Amino acid sequence: MKIIVLNCGSSSIKYQLFVMPEKKVLAKGLVEKIGLKGSAIKHTSGDGTEHKFEGQILDHQQGIEYLLGVLTSKEYGCLNHINEIDAVGHRVVHGAEEFSSSVLINGEVIKAIEKSTELAPLHNPPNLKGIYTMQQLLPKAPQVGVFDTAFHQTMPEHVFLYAIPYVLYEKYKIRRYGFHGTSHKYVSARVCEILGVPIEKQKIITCHLGNGSSITALKNGKSYDTSMGMTPTEGLIMGTRTGDLDPGALLFMSEKENISIKYTNSLINKFAGVLGISGVSSDMRDIETAAGEGNHRAQLALQMFAYRAKKYIGAYAAALGGVDIIVFTGGIGENDTETRKTILDGLEFLGIKTDKKKLDIKGKETLLTTDDSKVKVLVIPTDEELMIAKDTYEIATGLHEIT
Amino acid sequence: MNPLEQFSLRQKLIPKGKIQAIGIVGCGTVGQNIALHSSRYGLDVIFIDVSQERIKQIFTDLEKQLDDVITHWGITPSEKLLVLSRIKGSTNYKDLESCDLIIETFSSRKLGPMIEERQEIFQKIEKAVNEKAIISSNLSTLMISDLATVLKHPGRAIGIHFIDPIDQTNIVELVKGVRTTDESFEKARRFVRMIGKKPIKVNESPGNISIRMIIPLINEACEILMEGVATVEDIDETMRESSGHRTGPFELADRIGLDKVMKYMDNLYAEFGNSKYKASPVIKRLVRANYLGRINGKGFYNYEGNKPVSNISITIIN
Repeated sequence: MKIIVLNCGSSSIKYQLFVMPEKKVLAKGLVEKIGLKGSAIKHTSGDGTEHKFEGQILDHQQGIEYLLGVLTSKEYGCLNHINEIDAVGHRVVHGAEEFSSSVLINGEVIKAIEKSTELAPLHNPPNLKGIYTMQQLLPKAPQVGVFDTAFHQTMPEHVFLYAIPYVLYEKYKIRRYGFHGTSHKYVSARVCEILGVPIEKQKIITCHLGNGSSITALKNGKSYDTSMGMTPTEGLIMGTRTGDLDPGALLFMSEKENISIKYTNSLINKFAGVLGISGVSSDMRDIETAAGEGNHRAQLALQMFAYRAKKYIGAYAAALGGVDIIVFTGGIGENDTETRKTILDGLEFLGIKTDKKKLDIKGKETLLTTDDSKVKVLVIPTDEELMIAKDTYEIATGLHEIT
Repeated sequence: MNPLEQFSLRQKLIPKGKIQAIGIVGCGTVGQNIALHSSRYGLDVIFIDVSQERIKQIFTDLEKQLDDVITHWGITPSEKLLVLSRIKGSTNYKDLESCDLIIETFSSRKLGPMIEERQEIFQKIEKAVNEKAIISSNLSTLMISDLATVLKHPGRAIGIHFIDPIDQTNIVELVKGVRTTDESFEKARRFVRMIGKKPIKVNESPGNISIRMIIPLINEACEILMEGVATVEDIDETMRESSGHRTGPFELADRIGLDKVMKYMDNLYAEFGNSKYKASPVIKRLVRANYLGRINGKGFYNYEGNKPVSNISITIIN
């Protein structure tokens, strides 16, 4: 069964074509700078050959049309016709309280996603554009929505609520939703598969550290708490986002700088985080270079990033009543060995014994702890696309059985 | 040809009437704000102005405005480059050829309605653009039908009134003239929505809603001042606090520009003949003394930068 996975961002579309259940990747790529100067499709064929096609891409619709055109082209493609695609999996950022698992997309689901747009004004509209376009192009193929928030819908009420007047939760659904759910779900399942342990009996902390970062505590194989909240700004310090911030400080900043809500939003999401502290970059690699050259603020940004992550691990160990497994994933979690070391440093009291020989391994599934370590710490490269393909396969084949 | 066209599935998915590029003719303060706002929402902008020197100056002004937004954390330096990269300046109307919608924002500082000048601009625009392009004017007290008469296709003419400060005002007045077609109106409405604003439909009438409501307010505030009932600051504060206005009537008049306010008053008075629109002697006196408001640092208030530091001496008014 051929499944295409689409991850539509505000000006980009990530795509991957799978054969399921074999998990074989036929092609993948990125449509970038949609509606902007320098738009292009970066396409990687199944054999790993990379191609870049530059030209004008006005909107998501056109981007999807062209990427399907590449997939069906004689020279670069792997399909004879787009109708060979059996199902489509869409990443949808915000499913609010409506969706606690992936779903087959129908009129009602679309309406619910449209309604959730209020909670994710930047993310849900491009996701919807992808859905509308594929409905037009492949009207017969089942389409599945996989939500970033769905995995965290298992959080109990005392965890997901903010201590605001309850009536505001009832009126506007202001609460913690959490994000990166697909990634946390994938790495937690994968780590148990590798260790050969039943997920429902483990206390797991998964750290998705990238430009956007979040940490999740899993109890009985389900999300119990996660660091991102109603928006992806809460929690860890990120590339350009503050993470946790005293709401009083937010109001004070806004008043002193005499700026609107819109600009305050931009301040905490685009100017803050490790970029705001270091003044160097939002990319940890640049910050590490600057820190190595003695830049104090770059050093500070690295310290702060690691400290916040460590604090969350500690908090979640307390919330879970201990911890059996810690997973690192995401661009930083998989590759930034120094940051990983700083986070783990001092956590020996939890029962972590790191294996010094393995701490510098990057980008592949690795056990970072010794065999006698009470807590296992692993690096698991995330694969959100595969997870979406899996869910799509399961839902689409279920559908086939019914019809 | 777009090299990616080779991969087109020829499904013709793009909805008709999509707006990708807009043109602005006369890029003064309002034109610049429309250009920046539209570009921030992803549209290409081509503006026409009188000379290369002027175009250079406009880009300097645009950069300055964006730098100010960066200072206030509104956009990042890379977003600034992106916004500027979508804006082009030209002295040649022919460069408007690719635009889907053109907005004339000819300076309204000079006295008089300048209808003939605007009509000439409309004709030049129509010669340059394709037959589906919408031709509009940032109208406040003028009538779109007066400008549409010179067009070969008057149905494409529409009034689009942006209200200052453009980036903080959520609405745009969309003015339907007698001959404006429904299709043109819909296209203009789509444009307004594309740039994140709510279109307010107005059937053409001088002053639309916004100007027609504020002119008598400013006049009445001048009356209260002349009668010695209250001070400039107290009148402004009362209106801000009692009626929830973002700015008081004098602050508003200063921000619009007192010369412009006087012109609005003259135009509305000429149109309706009602004394509530007749320019207050206070406004006239200030304009004669070159007290134009925020633009030159003195109006009902004295300014340092954009901030009022004191109000004007009562002797200037009396």
